[in-house]
Formats: sequence, structure tokens, C-alpha cells
Amino acid sequence: MLDFFSIFGKGGIVLWCFQSTGHIFTPSVNALIRTVILQERGGGSNSFDHESLTLKYKLDNEFDLVFVVAFQKILQLSYVDKLLDDVQLEFRDLYRQQLQGLRPGLEFRRPFERVLAAAEEWGRRQDNQPRQMRSFEQSHKSKKTVSSMIERPHEQKNQKTVEKEAAVKESPPPTPAAPASPRNGSGAGELDEETMALNRMRLAQRLGSPNASKKKAAADKQKSPKAKKTGKAPTQWDLGGTNKDVASLERTKDKDGVRQDTYDSKLVGQMVGGIKDLEVDSSDDDDEQDEERQVRLARTKESGLLSMFKGLVGNKSLSRETMQPALDKMCDLLIAKNVAADIAKKLCESVATKLDGKVIGTFEGVASVVKTTLTESLMQILSPRRRVDILRDALESQRKGRPFVMTFCGVNGVGKSTNLAKICFWLIENDLRVLVAACDTFRAGAVEQLRTHVRHLNNLHPAERHNGREMVQLYEKGYGKDAAGIAMEAINFAREARLDVVLVDTAGRMQDNEPLMRALAKLIKVNDPDLVLFVGEALVGNEAVDQLVKFNQAMADYSAAEHPHLIDGIVLTKFDTIDDKVGAAISMTYITGQPIVFVGTGQTYTDLKSLNAKAVVHALMK
Amino acid sequence: MALSPEILGILIAVFVIALTAAFLFWQRRRTSRSGILVVGLNDSGKTLMFSQIVYNEFVDTFTSMKENIGDFTASKSVLKIIDIPGHERVRAKFFDEHKRNARGIAFLVDASNLQSNIRDAAEYLYSILTDPVIASSAPSFLIVCNKQDQTMAKGSVAVKKLLEKELNLLRKTKSSRLASLDNTTDNAVFLGQEDKDFEFEHLNKIKVEFAETALFSAANEEGVQLEQVEDWLERVSA
Repeated sequence: MLDFFSIFGKGGIVLWCFQSTGHIFTPSVNALIRTVILQERGGGSNSFDHESLTLKYKLDNEFDLVFVVAFQKILQLSYVDKLLDDVQLEFRDLYRQQLQGLRPGLEFRRPFERVLAAAEEWGRRQDNQPRQMRSFEQSHKSKKTVSSMIERPHEQKNQKTVEKEAAVKESPPPTPAAPASPRNGSGAGELDEETMALNRMRLAQRLGSPNASKKKAAADKQKSPKAKKTGKAPTQWDLGGTNKDVASLERTKDKDGVRQDTYDSKLVGQMVGGIKDLEVDSSDDDDEQDEERQVRLARTKESGLLSMFKGLVGNKSLSRETMQPALDKMCDLLIAKNVAADIAKKLCESVATKLDGKVIGTFEGVASVVKTTLTESLMQILSPRRRVDILRDALESQRKGRPFVMTFCGVNGVGKSTNLAKICFWLIENDLRVLVAACDTFRAGAVEQLRTHVRHLNNLHPAERHNGREMVQLYEKGYGKDAAGIAMEAINFAREARLDVVLVDTAGRMQDNEPLMRALAKLIKVNDPDLVLFVGEALVGNEAVDQLVKFNQAMADYSAAEHPHLIDGIVLTKFDTIDDKVGAAISMTYITGQPIVFVGTGQTYTDLKSLNAKAVVHALMK
Repeated sequence: MALSPEILGILIAVFVIALTAAFLFWQRRRTSRSGILVVGLNDSGKTLMFSQIVYNEFVDTFTSMKENIGDFTASKSVLKIIDIPGHERVRAKFFDEHKRNARGIAFLVDASNLQSNIRDAAEYLYSILTDPVIASSAPSFLIVCNKQDQTMAKGSVAVKKLLEKELNLLRKTKSSRLASLDNTTDNAVFLGQEDKDFEFEHLNKIKVEFAETALFSAANEEGVQLEQVEDWLERVSA
């Protein structure tokens, strides 16, 4: 019933393989390796589905082996985990001597068949056994307290009033706060006027009397008996006004064409070329390099000297129990640095899987090994899975004669328009012509904001300096229109005008707002942008997980295509507001698997950096 | 028998000095560069080439998660062949570990689908060439065009032209970066000459050669064409 079983080293060379069908399993196993193991999703379950197969794997960290078994997804075999464990033990017993030079072509078929038969027999016995009763510890009852389970019939009525009181207490939250303290301070016998009025009001509310609100107003008036006496002035209502005021409300056009804006021309020329790397609050950069070298030298020296003594001193192998305290400490450290809680847990789980059974010398502490492995995992997560070079891709599209389209999406208030302006500045510094499409047709002032940015950018890079071509243009159709339509027209306009890049700004939307997510998915499906960037702020904590998962889910569900266009990259904004609590970067890259393309570190045009994985990991593990 | 304390002290001092001298000598011998790195994109045939050079046999392989290290005895010395995994997430880590030991670098290229992967391959090659350690130690390069047994495979001349064109573009988009603020200052190296289009001959310190192989056909005993690679290994070891 098993289709495939393979034992191969972590370096990729297959040591033994068993195949019962003619199917080629290489793509499935490669997908398993790339998706699960190399992306640090090794924690939790050890099974992976690919096309019609389910693959289960087990790592042997002592000899650096991987055991993989594949079977049809529709079968539900219960003995597979046990089979993996037994095969691993069997293999190690047989080939323990040759652990360094394990070579392909090992003879393992007969022991394997023996173990397989035993496991199948065990599985059959398990299935035939009658269902075991749960022990008391496993039942739900043991988790409840005794008093909650005692039923008293006359208490049911009281429960209802208790609930109502709780609701009433919650509704006026601010009012009891202030008088509570003087009440406690003044003692039981002395109740002044205010508190008496308050008590009366509360009683009225509890009895549901219609005079409750009146009493509250009386109490309020009593609280501030002395009002300021000024002359009577006509009240200015917020939503009132006459038609004569309309002219003063118009802010979309300039007043008389007089502009007193000062443009900060020092910015010009600072963003030419690639984006600078981020530096994260690590005070000693030079020392770090020296220190790294010294540590490496020390390590090689150590391994040279101590290899002589290794035979004398024993080795210890790591198990989950020995690693657990160190792992818990690491988990808490990560959560303290603003990594989402379940991401931190999954990471620690995958580190545990990686180190389970590994042999370390007695001179290395468990904590230091766990810390180094965790640092490596974090570096691995932050390393981009694909090439990140926007300039190169933009040049490629320029050569093909069509514009390079980038879309910015995200929740409200994360900095989409600000970072769009920064990226626009970077692109025009590198001599690319940009069209900004104002597809945020909802938020008041969104189009004006982009227009101000475009004007500022055109002033910094005037057309005279670039052969009379205007570097940035704005494509807008006002408010209230369909965003997807505006985006399509903007891209067509850019193609005809032979502009290089189109930056599409969308409205902020909450991730569980279904109609808005549908609209976003439609925009992406209709226009097929080259890059869909999710803009997230670095301050977000556990919410990042929810946002990204729901955004990706919505784009996959509402796109009705075979291969929906998901989020391609992340822009991490407001990075200057966090000192070293840089965990949001880890959460976001872990969830999507996509790289962080830009990091925003401020509100001026030059505050755009690229992610420096080493510095971020260093700040996380400090 | 009681040795006088002075003689005992002198004996101990001599012993300690001898131990330190032997250790330092051993350390120096170990840090001389004797490694050949085998690098390349995912699925370009590095582990297969490694096993054919070191073990002389054809193996099935999956995506590598860790490096493979083996020895190759050339006529004059023993070279350590290090096969670095090509997966994007781990290649930087293993490359940084072993780059100091690199005497020669074999960059494998999948010649049959190079056209679609050219940007990734060129970026990887660019990042290796501009790495400060590599630029200063200047190992010899061999660009191996693998999978020649496939019909759509390009020859080494076509591969060379494609790579040169791509690297020319890349150095423009990456080179005019200002001094970056972190440790890796890989922008300090500008490949080739500024006013002319990039060619591999312009790299004065690093010598780049090309070779063609068809590693998969070893299964069919049709000749694996590893001779060019082995020649290069002999020349590097000299």
C-alpha cells in the first residue's frame, strides 16, 4: 500500500529507495523539501500533501538522514508514523559503523520488508481493537471546577439578574471611575451631593425608570455648577452652514496660483542606484565583524585542539526534554520582541525537530546550540526565496514595451500612499518614468494627497533635467468610481504614453470586510499587475498573522482562476517607531513566504531602505 | 627520583613551546585554501557532478539541504570538493561558511532552460563575483554548461554571451549604490571596465573558463564529458 519509501542524506544523495509503482516521485519529494523543511515549517505535523500523494517524513539529526514515505492521499494509514520510527532504528543499528561514509546502494530491502510487515500487523490490530474509553484525565469534566457543575434550581433566576447587572455596569464606563475614588476616600458615613446623585441615577437605571436620563443630566449639571460667563455668541454647528460658505471649503484647487511651498532640493540624488540596507540599532558594527572572525578562528582552533580529546570525553545527544527549557526561553524572547505568538511557537517546534537526536560535544551547552539553530532558522526565513530586484524587472518591462505595474494593498492607515511616494522618488532618481494611479476613491483627500506628492516630485526632478519629459504623472478620476476600472485605464494610458512604471494606490480595507476584499481581488484579477505588495506596519503584533492570512485567502477565493495571483512581496513601514522589537518582519515573511521588498523608516522621501537580514536577526536575538 | 626544580621548569617550558609551535604549524597548513566550491541554481546538477567527481558513480538525488564535502586526488595534491545547495534560502549561509577556503569555483548552469532562468543565474553569479572575499582571493572560475544531452541546450559560447549581456545590465542597476551601512559592502567592486560592455576577459584578477557536460547521460554509459572539468581541476591544483 505504500507507493514509495526513500532514505537519503541531507546533502541530497539517495541512499536507498523502494518504489512500488512506476510513478516518478522526484518532484513530490523536492516539493516536500522546499516547502516544509527549508522553510522552517517543520513543527507540528510531519505530513505534506502534493497532488494525489501524502508524504510523511522523519529527520535523523545524528547522522543527517531523511526518511520519506509516500502513499495515496485517499488512504488513511495509521501505521506510517510507527513505520518511520522503526525503520529509523533498524537502519541505525545496521549501519551505525559506517555513519561517515554512507554510500548509495546499501542493502536494506529485507530488513525493510520485515519492519513493514510488523508495522502493518500492528496497524491491523489497532484498527480491530474496540474503542478505548477515555480516562478521567482526558475527559472534559476533569477540566471544569466543581462549583460550576453543581446545579441549584433557585439560583437560575439570580443568574439572569447578575447578567443584567454586569451589562449595566459595563455601559457607563467612564462615569463611575471618577466618583469612585472620592467615595472610597470619604468613608461610609459621609456621602456628598455628587455621589448621592450618582447613586440615585444608578438605582433608576437598574429599575429601568424613564427618569434615569433626567437624573443623569441633573447630576451632570450639579457637577459643574459654575459655568464661564461670556457674552452670548452664535453657536457654530459642525454640520451646519449656508451656501455662502462653500467657496471657503474648496481645497482641491490652489488659491490664486500663489505657492509658498519650499521644496527640499537636498533630497535629489540621494536615492540613485539600489536601496541602502537597513541598519538596526546595533552599536558595534566593526567590532561585530572582528568578533565574528575571532569566534570562527576560536571555533576552528577549538575543534582542532579538542578533536584530540573528543575520544576521551563523552558526547551527549539532545532530546526534547533537555531542550524544552531552552526552547521555552527562546519562545518567550521572541514573543517579547513582537513576533506573533503562534509563529514563535511553530518556529521553536521546527527547531526542536531539527535538533532532536543530534549529538553535541560536552563542551557546548544546550542553550547555545538551540540559540545558534534558531538564529539560522530566522536567517533562513528572512532570506528571500526568489530574486528581489525591482529595477531590473522594470528595465525588462521597458524593453518589452509595456509598463511595470505595482499594486499596494493593506489595511487602513499603514502608510500606503506615503511609501508609494517614496518608491516613486526612488524610481525617478533611477531615471524611470512613473505613472501614479489614484485608485483610492473612497478616502477623503486621497487624490489631493497624491497630487501634492506628484507636484513635489516633479519639482525635485524637473522636466528640463530629463530631456523635457515629465518624470511623474498622476492618473485620477475623482472619488466614488470603480477602482478596477481606473487602474485599467491608467495602465492603458501608460502603455500608450510609453511610461515605465505604474504605481497603483488602493484604499485601505479591513481584512474581514468581504465586499471590499472582493473588490480588491477583482482589481488584481482584471489588471494582472506584475507585483502585488502588501503594506504592513512594523508595530503590528499578532494581528499581522490574521491580516496576511485573510488577504491571501480572499485573493485566492475571489479570483476564480487556476493559479490566483497572491501577495508577492511585503513593504514594512513605520520601522523607525520600533527600536529593536522587529518581530513583525518575521511574522509576515513566515506567513506568506514572500520577501520584504522595502522598509519604510520615516516620512521623507529618502526614508526607504531594504531589509538587512543579519541586522534584524541580530536585534531579535539580543 | 627527584629532578631539581629548575630542570623541571625548563623541561615544562620546552614542552609547552614545542606544543604551541606544532599547533601553529598545523593550523597554518589547515587554513591554506584547498577547496573547490560547486555552486549554481536549484536543479542544475551540482550534487550529481559532486558524486561523479568524488565517487565516480551516478546517483539519484533530491534537493540538497546541506553541503556535501568530499576529496578528489589530483596529480599533485588533494582537493576538497564542496557542493553548496542551490536553494535560495540556504545558499548564502553555506557559501559564506566555505568561501574563505575556495581555490576554485565551479558554477553550474542548466543550459537547456537558461533563457528563462538567466536573470536568477546572473544575479547569483554577480553576487559571487562581487563578494569581497572572493574578489580579494581571486579563485579560478569554471562555468559548466550542464545538460548538453537535451536538445535545447545551448553551447558554452551562447551561454557566455547571454551571461555577459545580463551581467552588463546588472552591474548598472546594482553598482551605483552608495556605501551601504551594514557589513556587506559588495558594491565596492565594479566588474569589468566602465566604458565598455562587460566581458569575462575584463576581470583581470579572476580567470573564467567554460566547459560543457552532460552529467545525466552517465546512466546510459554514453560518456559524461567530464574531461574538461577534470582538466580544470588538475590545473587548479597545480
